[in-house]
Amino acid sequence: MGGQNTSGQKVSGQNTNFLEVRGLDLDVGGFELRDISLRAEEGDYVAVIGPSGSGKSLLLETLIGFYNPKAGRVFLEGRDITDFPPDKRQISIVYQDHVLFPHMTVFENIAYALRKKLRDKTRIEEEVGRIAGLLEIPHLLFRKPTTLSGGEKQRTALARGLVVRPKLLLLDEPFSALDVRTKERLREVLKKAIKEYSTTVLHVTHDFDDLWALADRVLIIRNGKVMQEGAPEAVFKRPSPDFVAEFLGTNLLKGRVREREGKLTVLELEGKSPGSERESMGLDGMNPGKVHSGLILYSADPGEPGEKLSISIRPEEIILAGGVLESSARNMLKGTVKDIVKKEHLVSVNLELETGSGRGSGTGSGTGSCPEFRAVITPMSCELMDLKIGKEVYAVFKAANVRIIR
Amino acid sequence: MRHSAFRNISTGIACFFTCLLFLAVGTLPFILKPSTLLEALLSAEMLYSMKLSLLTASVSTFSVMFFSIPTAYSLSRYDFSGKALVKSILGLPMAFPELVLGLALLLLFGQTPLGTGLEALGIRVPFSKPGIVVAQFFVAFPYAVRVIYSTFESIDRRYEQVSRSFGYGDFETFRNVTLPMARGGLFASTVITFARCIGAFGAVLILAGGSYMHTEVLPVTLYLNISYGNLDMAITSGVLLMAIAFLAILSFEYFEGGKT
Repeated sequence: MGGQNTSGQKVSGQNTNFLEVRGLDLDVGGFELRDISLRAEEGDYVAVIGPSGSGKSLLLETLIGFYNPKAGRVFLEGRDITDFPPDKRQISIVYQDHVLFPHMTVFENIAYALRKKLRDKTRIEEEVGRIAGLLEIPHLLFRKPTTLSGGEKQRTALARGLVVRPKLLLLDEPFSALDVRTKERLREVLKKAIKEYSTTVLHVTHDFDDLWALADRVLIIRNGKVMQEGAPEAVFKRPSPDFVAEFLGTNLLKGRVREREGKLTVLELEGKSPGSERESMGLDGMNPGKVHSGLILYSADPGEPGEKLSISIRPEEIILAGGVLESSARNMLKGTVKDIVKKEHLVSVNLELETGSGRGSGTGSGTGSCPEFRAVITPMSCELMDLKIGKEVYAVFKAANVRIIR
Repeated sequence: MRHSAFRNISTGIACFFTCLLFLAVGTLPFILKPSTLLEALLSAEMLYSMKLSLLTASVSTFSVMFFSIPTAYSLSRYDFSGKALVKSILGLPMAFPELVLGLALLLLFGQTPLGTGLEALGIRVPFSKPGIVVAQFFVAFPYAVRVIYSTFESIDRRYEQVSRSFGYGDFETFRNVTLPMARGGLFASTVITFARCIGAFGAVLILAGGSYMHTEVLPVTLYLNISYGNLDMAITSGVLLMAIAFLAILSFEYFEGGKT
């Protein structure tokens, strides 16, 4: 490793990975991690995603020192911390269910984290006040955790985890039990706090929105093994194994901002989805910027006119309609069914979109080939709509479901 | 709404035996006239017995709690060789008769080097007041360990792990997080331990002896007075023991039974 000399001592000033996990093996009560390796630079925000039971939480609890690995090493700032107890690692963890000490108030919970670091009462109060302000909880400081809402508890847990300025902050699905609006607000607040405290973060999540909103890098894990890692856009563009493509399964399109229309961003599409079946088999249909599809989409995300970007639309957020649908959704694209793939509980419908048709797409220049698009519906809906290859349908989705990725 | 026959029969059995128990126990305080009860309560023997019972049960309860908390914590949180054997041995006194426990303790503190060694130091356990405490301790200790063990098991270990991640060591985490979170269970355990200590009879009788106004605790008072045919005193000590048990169960239900 770059930061160490031949005697194994840490050498300062050299380019060392801030966090490096090498070949980690662990077996705890039926759950396994196998040959996990990962790296993160200082200040990185790494999202760890994967199906339930894939070992994501176990990985975090091993990094913080709650479990001893069978094999492999963990380095933080170039120091081998594999055998360090949790109290010597300077790593904090925030769980989905908060794990706030019930016998302490919000203030005491946060101050408790600091008391080993700071002796001065005034300094502790200052630091608690500062993080409470950032997470917008000063009015809750003297309440007990049992009296707080889910979002308030999570803000407190985040404040407690961050206040000690940990070298590494581990987040174990911190937003998964919250409603959509609370999640969105908390992501903004967390982003601000992370920036302020310059902390490196490893965030386990199921939610792709966490990934787009927060992560610089993504690590996809399955059955205790890392399947792929890289920048979110790169991983979504080139999901290497079939599992990753199927797991991510999003419609990823290329485009540019055409203009702003009120609070919405008008986007002009240029490419195809790498999440499509063809792409996952290695047939790369991505040709960003070269083909102008003429399709127009509305997004609720902000964007600057002329800006080139990627657009993600989750297949399960698309409604298929047999005809023009009167609805509040801003995007309605006409297409032809190209393929129908029946899975256990869902049906994946691949569409070839028609240029210059439907709401939100009529103003394009309408030249060249159309992007491929995937929607996921239930088998019953598929039967009711009598979907067949070649049938014309409309794909309807909200501007809020069109996510801009930079 | 019609209920099933099974539901009616099982509920009927529950009600029948509850009534029977209530009749047997609930009428005990009302058998004696209040003046007779008061007279027996204020007798020298009863006052001595009450005082000795409260004193020995308090010392025993303190000792039991002092030693059962670390015992239960280590069984709950740490893995060590022979842990299963330790758990089995600690649970043994719950399964075999108190009289046998008393006999085993009498032999241990009487004829072994431990007993003779203690006696050389001026501590005589058999047929003495310290014998009452020792007997009560061993009667109550396994129950206390069991209750506290369950309490610690019910506390999610992640609370301790989070505390550790902030730089606190094992003991600091135990003191700052685990103990306060176990408060309800520890209180219940203290109450149950006190009730077990004050009601311990077989082991106390064998180890400490049932000497009149010497090693006479409330259960011994009941036993001695039944033997003499003095029913008033026997019933009074029974009422006292029952009142203590009732208060203990009430506290236990309040703190451990969902605060109903």
